[in-house]
Parts: sequence; structure tokens; C-alpha cells
Amino acid sequence: MDEAIDVNACLRRWKEGDEAAAEELIRHLFPVISKIVRTHLPRRDDEKDLVQEILMKTFAKLHQFKGDAPITHWVSRLALTTCLDRLRAQKIRPEVRRADLTPDESDVFDAAWLTGSSPDASEAIAARDVVDKILASLSPEDRSLILMVDLEGRSLQEISEATGWSISKIKMRLFRVRPQLRQMIRKLEERN
Amino acid sequence: MNTREDEKWQGLLLRSTSTFAGEDAPPYGFITGTLAQLRAESRQQNEFERIGWRALLTSLAALVIAAMVTLSVDFSDQSGDFEPGTKSVVQLENIQVS
Repeated sequence: MDEAIDVNACLRRWKEGDEAAAEELIRHLFPVISKIVRTHLPRRDDEKDLVQEILMKTFAKLHQFKGDAPITHWVSRLALTTCLDRLRAQKIRPEVRRADLTPDESDVFDAAWLTGSSPDASEAIAARDVVDKILASLSPEDRSLILMVDLEGRSLQEISEATGWSISKIKMRLFRVRPQLRQMIRKLEERN
Repeated sequence: MNTREDEKWQGLLLRSTSTFAGEDAPPYGFITGTLAQLRAESRQQNEFERIGWRALLTSLAALVIAAMVTLSVDFSDQSGDFEPGTKSVVQLENIQVS
């Protein structure tokens, strides 16, 4: 087990009404949830509120946690599902055009090659905004899948465990979404 | 095979990597706020449970009262003012009913 705290003892203490145990759990789970929310939701979405919402769901469903896997795995899945629900609720999926990019985003897009120098903070934010705009036109599931593969470098097996999707479903989604992504980037490269 | 678009995409991800990193510790006030919300939810749940129990006991009491009233009415029906074997005025006065 990779737990830095004794989760079972914490759970027991929390059930007995010990708030210090709840605080320990929150501190333990916060980085895991924060990472998932920051990866799977666009940058401007209210991250703090969503992390809190996921923690509330976690505490409400703690009785369902069987303890046969680390609690971080269980919470990761809950966090990912909540992020996907949030993305589904947004519904509008506009296709990004070159005119939609700000001058900074446009510069970053033109300079975005693997051999580029390491960016400063503002370039990183501009690049992230371009990434969010491109991903916004994909379905929530495709968006998360692309990030798990391309950004986090997760294997199909790991993605399957994190999402509950079958390997063949993941392969099919990837096969379908990759050309979509290329098409969007090609369109962005066209300067009207 | 990597296409030009794939390289561009990877370049964008590489440049934005730092913005995807999560926070290691909660921001100031986050834990206090979350604990307060947990307390509020727990209080609300207890309140719902209390209301639920009260409603259940009230329904049971109403059911018992209804059963007792039914039984007592039934009992009073069986012990009428007529002689044993006589159930109505018609039978008592031997009135011809056509």
C-alpha cells in the first residue's frame, strides 16, 4: 500500500466524530484531486469549489470504500467522473478558429514545436489556453482520454482501471479522436 | 507515424505542462471551509433521520388508533339491544317486507 497515512484508522476515527481525522484525510487526498481537476477541466473553471465538491462526495460515500485498493485510486475515479459530469453539463462545444486565439495564444501556437525552448509562465498559460480551446470541441470522454495518453503517458490498462472503460473501447475512441485533433490543428494553422 | 499536426500538439502540451500540475497543499482556509461544510451536512443528515423516525412513530400510532377504533366498533355491533338471534327491528316486530 502506498498510503502515507493510516487510512483505515482515519476512517474509524472520523466515524467516531473525530474532526482531526477528517482533516488528515483531506490533506492526504487534496493533491490527488487537485491534479485531476487541473488536468481534466479547462483552466478557468472554479477549481477550488470542484475539489471541495469531490471531497464532500468522498466523505458521503466513504462507507462504500472496501479497502482492497489504495483510497487514492478510489478517489481518483470519483474525481474523474465528477469532472466528466461537469464537462458534460457545459454542453457547448465550439470548434476553435484561428480568429478565436488571442495574439499571445497565436504566437505560442506558431512557436509550438518539440524543439522549442522552455516557456516562461505567461507562455505556458497561453499554451494551456490554446490546448483548452482545441480540446473544448471534443466530447468530455475524448478530451480526458487524449490528456491521459498524450500528457500523462498512461497505458491503456491504466486508463481502463481509472475510467472503467474496456481496452477495445479506449482503442476505438483513440482511433476516432486522433484524426479529429489533427484536423483541428490543421485548421488553426490556416491563417484565413 | 507522427504527422506535423501531432508534433504541433505535443509541442503545445509540452509548453503548457506546468499549468497541469496540481497543488500539493490546500490553499489557506480550504480545510476550515470543507470541515464546516462536512459538519453542516452531517447535522442535516441527523435532522433528516430524526424527522424520519418521528414520522414513522406518528404513522404507527395512527395505525394503532385506527385498529382500536375498528375493533371497538365491530365489538359494539355484535352486542346490540336485540334479543340473541334477533338482528333488526324488522325481525323483532315481524314486519312483512314485500
